[in-house]
Amino acid sequence: MTPRLVRVLLCLYPRWWRQRYGEEFKQLLAESTGICEVADVFRSALYERARSWVISKGSQCSFRTVATRTSAFLPIAMSLTALAAVAFHVVIYGSAREPDEGAVAHIWQILMAGQMPILMFFGLKWVPRAPRQALPVLAAQAGAALASMAPVFFLGL
Amino acid sequence: MHGHYSDPPLLVLASLSNGPKHGHAMIEDIALLCGTRLGPGTLYGAITRLEEQGMIEALPADDRRHPYRITPDGLELLRARLSVLNRFARAGMKRLESL
Repeated sequence: MTPRLVRVLLCLYPRWWRQRYGEEFKQLLAESTGICEVADVFRSALYERARSWVISKGSQCSFRTVATRTSAFLPIAMSLTALAAVAFHVVIYGSAREPDEGAVAHIWQILMAGQMPILMFFGLKWVPRAPRQALPVLAAQAGAALASMAPVFFLGL
Repeated sequence: MHGHYSDPPLLVLASLSNGPKHGHAMIEDIALLCGTRLGPGTLYGAITRLEEQGMIEALPADDRRHPYRITPDGLELLRARLSVLNRFARAGMKRLESL
């Protein structure tokens, strides 16, 4: 490979990687020929860059940072509010199924459906960046949602 | 792909099991060992992971190139992986013989 191509390919790697392996990798590339090697280095450089990005983003985030995002606790709060609404209905009116959906049923539906886009936003934003911190939060969100659905299904409301 | 084995970290460990080598020597050795020619990016990706995991370590630079050496943990991992592969290969060959 020409020195210019070697420099370009090396620039694709993250800085820490170039500092650690740059000199010896440059020598190896200078001895390499062929488009397959270029493609291999290109693919590997993109992988290292993506991996560095994920690791750096992940290491910057503590569990507290992730768990205190609005998109983390709002779905849990919505599920718990929906659960409280169902409990209130059962305590006041009993668990008998009513022919018409009342205000409580509408509130429950709005709260459960309304948290879906927030859940998706949280999952798409935080799972790739900090999976170790985001997955317990997602589990808590799913647990809260299931808890608010359980009485509706088990009591046949 | 027929007959070629491609598990870059295992190939690197196997190559270093008979002594320290730098990148170019590893590529040539692996090609001799199993016919797989690793690309430079793939090789250094495997070296990066193995060094992070403490399976190999760099020796002082020799003409700007670091030779790498397998560590005791790396040897243990290589033994374990090769024995699994050995069992797999023997069981597979036995099945082929019975055809």
